[in-house]
Amino acid sequence: MASSIASRRLFHEYKLLTSSPPDGITAGPVSEDDIFLWEALIQGPDGTPFEGGIFPAELKFPKDYPLNPPTMRFLGEVWHPNVYPSGLVCISILHAPGDDPHHYEKASERWSPIQSVEKILISVMSMLAEPNDESPANIEAAKMWRERRSEFEKTVREGVRRSLGM
Amino acid sequence: MPDQQQTLSVPSLLLLAAFAALTIRYFFFTKPSTSSPRANPRAVNPADVEQIATMFPQIGRREIIWDLQRNGGSVNATTERILGRGRLDPPPPSFQPVIPAGATPSTANTTLAQSKSEHIDLITRYNLGSRVSSQSSSPSEGSGPSGSPQPQSWSNNKNERQALLKRRREEMILTARRKLQEKERERPQQEG
Repeated sequence: MASSIASRRLFHEYKLLTSSPPDGITAGPVSEDDIFLWEALIQGPDGTPFEGGIFPAELKFPKDYPLNPPTMRFLGEVWHPNVYPSGLVCISILHAPGDDPHHYEKASERWSPIQSVEKILISVMSMLAEPNDESPANIEAAKMWRERRSEFEKTVREGVRRSLGM
Repeated sequence: MPDQQQTLSVPSLLLLAAFAALTIRYFFFTKPSTSSPRANPRAVNPADVEQIATMFPQIGRREIIWDLQRNGGSVNATTERILGRGRLDPPPPSFQPVIPAGATPSTANTTLAQSKSEHIDLITRYNLGSRVSSQSSSPSEGSGPSGSPQPQSWSNNKNERQALLKRRREEMILTARRKLQEKERERPQQEG
């Protein structure tokens, strides 16, 4: 029963995201046979080194969604302080309330059933533009972003070119 | 006075008494085991209300209870109505059900598998090689206006939906690649 709620809600969100997609975001289930696994494409925000890039990511939803948030993992290379080398995204909206190991996040920023896939993807987009220095997931990238910004930007831009096959 | 008493015959008085008795019985002594089709407000299962409210946080619990009560407590019927119309009928102002307290969300305990991913580019991942090579020969070839993708409508057919999504993904990648190529062509000296 719980998973049928989750799949109905996910289908509803899929429909909304398809009929009025936010700028620079394409998202939906990899196959409708499994509505709990999605693939999203996020466009790099303008005015940042990620500009012009397209970043694929997979979202895995728990069977009790929307009580608990999905996990999100970039499938290509993303050099960013808040993205683990494995591609896993570390951002407050993907953390369930009460699940705050570092005690720095406001409850309002964390996951709740009022949030949505669309809000996650928009948050991740703004995370690309503005890294959160307080919770580095990729220590090397965070260090480079802090201390050698131009090198950070060059690394990101090269990644964008490579990912588009150029 | 005598005239009025004449108009009230004994049978009509009996009828009135019987009606009054039935009315009083209906309001004060209704048993839960009545076979009347009108459901008791408490017949709506609070768990059903929570389920729907969780699925659609934008819909008020009062509307959900009202709708469940009218369709005999069918979660599916209410869900279908929300999916189909995006909302529920507003209940009359006099409808003030006891709204259950929100469910307490359980805490997640997700173990995160850290796998090493080898990075393959988007063209390979989405199998766009053929379209890239045909594109680079004539980069300004119009496959839709660049910058403003045409609005995609939702299809009720599962396969069509899947195809639409695939096309949107491919367009997004190919457009990005074309733009980057054009940008680099404009200032070829800057890139090392």
